[in-house]
Amino acid sequence: MIMASKAITNGIGVQVEDTKICVVMVGLPARGKSFIAQKAQRYLQWLSIPAQVFNVGNYRRNDAPQPTADFFDMNNTEGERKRRAAAEAAVADMLAWLRSGGVVGILDATNSTKERRKWVLDTCNAHGVEVLFVESKCDDEDLIMANVRDVKTTSPDYKGQDPEKAAQDFRNRIKMYEKIYETIGGDDSEEDQYTYLKLMDVSKQVIINRIQDYLQSRVVYYLMNLHIRPRSIWLSRHGESMYNLDGRIGGDTLLSPRGEAYARKLPELVRQSVGDDRPLTVWTSTLKRTIATSRFLPSHYNQLQWKALDELDSGVCDGLTYQEIKDRYPDDFAARDEDKYNYRYRGGESYRDVVIRLEPIIMEVERSEDILIVTHQAVLRCIYAYFMKKDHTRSPWMNVPLHTLIKLTPKAYGTVEERWEANIPAVSTWRAKGSTAKHENPTPDSL
Amino acid sequence: MDTLLTAEIAANAPRYRRKSSTFIDAIHDVPEDQDMAPAQLYSTMSGRLFHSGRIAIVMVGLPARGKTHICVSMARYLQWLGVKTRIFHLGDYRRATVGPGGTVPEDYFFPNASPQSIILRQKILKKCREDIYAWLNHENGQVAIYDAVNPIASGRRSLAKEFAKHDVQTLFIESFVDDERILLENARNVKISSPDFAGMDPDRAAELYLKRITMKIPMFETMDEKELNFIKMINAGSKFFYNNVSFNYLSHRIVFYLTNLHIKARTTFFARAGTTTEDEESYKSDAPLSEQGKAYARKMAETLTKHREQEAAEQGKPLRPLSVWTSTRRKTVQTAEVFGEKGYKIRQRSQMSQINPGACERLSERMIRQIYAEEVEKHDLDPYHHRYPRAESYHDLAVRLEPIILELEREQNDLLIIAHESVLRVLYAYLMHCSTMDIPTLKFPRDEIIEIIPAAYQNEAKRIHIPGLESSIVPGSPDDIKIPVTVQSIPPSGQASGEASGVTSGITSGQLSPIAGGLGSPAEPATERPPEKVINKAKDMVADKVDDED
Repeated sequence: MIMASKAITNGIGVQVEDTKICVVMVGLPARGKSFIAQKAQRYLQWLSIPAQVFNVGNYRRNDAPQPTADFFDMNNTEGERKRRAAAEAAVADMLAWLRSGGVVGILDATNSTKERRKWVLDTCNAHGVEVLFVESKCDDEDLIMANVRDVKTTSPDYKGQDPEKAAQDFRNRIKMYEKIYETIGGDDSEEDQYTYLKLMDVSKQVIINRIQDYLQSRVVYYLMNLHIRPRSIWLSRHGESMYNLDGRIGGDTLLSPRGEAYARKLPELVRQSVGDDRPLTVWTSTLKRTIATSRFLPSHYNQLQWKALDELDSGVCDGLTYQEIKDRYPDDFAARDEDKYNYRYRGGESYRDVVIRLEPIIMEVERSEDILIVTHQAVLRCIYAYFMKKDHTRSPWMNVPLHTLIKLTPKAYGTVEERWEANIPAVSTWRAKGSTAKHENPTPDSL
Repeated sequence: MDTLLTAEIAANAPRYRRKSSTFIDAIHDVPEDQDMAPAQLYSTMSGRLFHSGRIAIVMVGLPARGKTHICVSMARYLQWLGVKTRIFHLGDYRRATVGPGGTVPEDYFFPNASPQSIILRQKILKKCREDIYAWLNHENGQVAIYDAVNPIASGRRSLAKEFAKHDVQTLFIESFVDDERILLENARNVKISSPDFAGMDPDRAAELYLKRITMKIPMFETMDEKELNFIKMINAGSKFFYNNVSFNYLSHRIVFYLTNLHIKARTTFFARAGTTTEDEESYKSDAPLSEQGKAYARKMAETLTKHREQEAAEQGKPLRPLSVWTSTRRKTVQTAEVFGEKGYKIRQRSQMSQINPGACERLSERMIRQIYAEEVEKHDLDPYHHRYPRAESYHDLAVRLEPIILELEREQNDLLIIAHESVLRVLYAYLMHCSTMDIPTLKFPRDEIIEIIPAAYQNEAKRIHIPGLESSIVPGSPDDIKIPVTVQSIPPSGQASGEASGVTSGITSGQLSPIAGGLGSPAEPATERPPEKVINKAKDMVADKVDDED
């Protein structure tokens, strides 16, 4: 407990205290449960709240690596026994993890019967852990099929199998579950006393029942912003700026000639990457260099400026080179290398500060569809860290090259990344930890 | 700059519509446009945030369902975030139309009302909506909260259509209550103070009130319009149903807030921590309480306990449970120990640590002026947002305290917060809606406990005097960053309504004009002070609204 609160003190803006929460997923297969579980974990981690997913399927695979649909028949006693054992093992591991400093454990399984949910609730409560059920209910056939397609290509259960057969088997598995599935709450059942969140048809309708504390309300708030419609997020830094040429940080300068060339090339690069003419929503910061970078994008792209996307404020160091910072503020220069995530520039911001101000952006990204964000190095690192689950010690050191378009596509089991190079030369704005006070060429492990 | 002069100019300026004192909950005041809100992260040219466009939040629900409380709380929170929000109570328009002492016809709320009643109803509605559009269109308003019963589905549909025509999105919020106990409690708390119920047993009066409502508004359809955006809050937040057709960050944020809101009666107390063994300027050492500080802790606990018992006895109600929150700083934790010994639950929260003085720690004012002359100038210009080297600004503190604010809304017990003055300033400012200009100079002398009583329409503040303290420990925080805020705002001695003991007391900033008559003045010498002083009476100020039907 002490460990946990130590890890999350000061500045992050999220209250954890001594509550331990088990988020219990509920829903038929192909309803986006794993997706939601993964997202919740990533979000909480990003905010420095220790969170961990316990996927019952992974435990079951130890015993039954690639079972066919009849394994999930409720009349199959052998299958039933193994699945029960897997659930017990997952819950036991989760409780042990919560005892050793974890704060939010996420139990990813169908938990499709009232009986099973009662067992999870009683087990957790006996260990002083609060339970929040999260049900994803969806009757939209198209969405379910999209999920089925996604799962059969990414799930380890069907690895190396004929895709058509896999899809058929998976649909049969869903049918097995449908026979016994009971939605949560309603009809004056005992479950009306449970704390739960029910998301229906991709959050078109939501029921929130008996939220017990602040952290639960926070998780619920985040989950309501999620959707499982397929989409991608494109990220780009601004084109090379006049300050980049001088190796100066911050400022509000315009683009260099090469940066200008990138701005002109960006529309084509985006079109290639998108693959068709569907419009993207474009977000920029309020600084000249991102607005200039986006100005040649097609006029039917909707463009918005967000103050929250402005570059990390380097306070008194704004407009200086790293060498100048090292000369004028040698202690600061060293302190920043020591703990770059938490270091706050004199009169400026830390990466932690940037994460806090980016939270509305992350919420908005989550509920948006295809989107292109043109922003700055530090901000991009924070957004990238959120999607790619980079931890705080590494993300501030990540190399994000200029003149490169990054495409991120969230999938059930993680985010897929693609990069599109503009092939327009630019200076490097990266420097390694503890190295000399100037920008240098990135090393291979800097991403 | 002469503060007295400034205050006078400000008070006489035509745009100056703020109430005269930080003692009074300013939630219904018109804010000054150039001010950033306490926890606002950024600003935009249009004045609208989160790319949310303009929104009408339309309340739905019969009287005694806590609608006004929800409106006011929501407005308080949204404005805290920097979203320009204003409440339009249809009841105000109805009263203005029928004139003082006038009443609406019997069938005013009936679905088959007479033509005259319908015309009257439409006239009232039209005026209210014109004001909403004018505010959204010409005053950069972003969220208009429309507080009315809106009982019929067809009426709600056409309302949404009409707002859409004006390029305004609608979000309906229904408060639905079928739990009799909650209904009776609501009616008893806010609805039965009208002369009609004088001398009646409160429970009978509440029942009678609810019966009248059913007669007056015979038809009510709970929301089930699938094409509308709505949030249905069931039984004061025990359950929410959310129908989301096309909504965004802001509406989710509202749901988030509402899940933490409740309508049960409770009170929040603010008290300072005791004095420590170190000189008060120390921050990093985290010193323990001195003997004097321990004595203070005992007296404070005594005073509070006595006060709570007295209040409970006056109201004829059992004593509500009390939770105590402190920061993780040693002096606040130790000040709470007396309560711990009595068996109260104490929680420490790291977010409530005092403002970080950074490089200014242990520096005298003269030293700060010498070393950071430029910073002092900047601080003068914007004491709320300015940050000394390595220090926190009040704005940083407000953002850091946001989870505490939501938890404060969530707390159902009476709550005592023992914290550093800087933290009390920000929390007080949220509950009483003070402007960012006032926050850095609010004063919490150690010989007073502040009590804040939430009421549906506005919050009420009381000061409870702690008798028998040595005067040397009473003044405001010397361990704060002691610079120019104080230079600017400490009124010349004797100016702030006479300080007999030479002690700066009272919570006014000095930049505002003296407290309006009858609201209590911080004038009397400590020994003669009554144990408790009501700063404002929310009930008196809204007497005309108590008997309201929508």
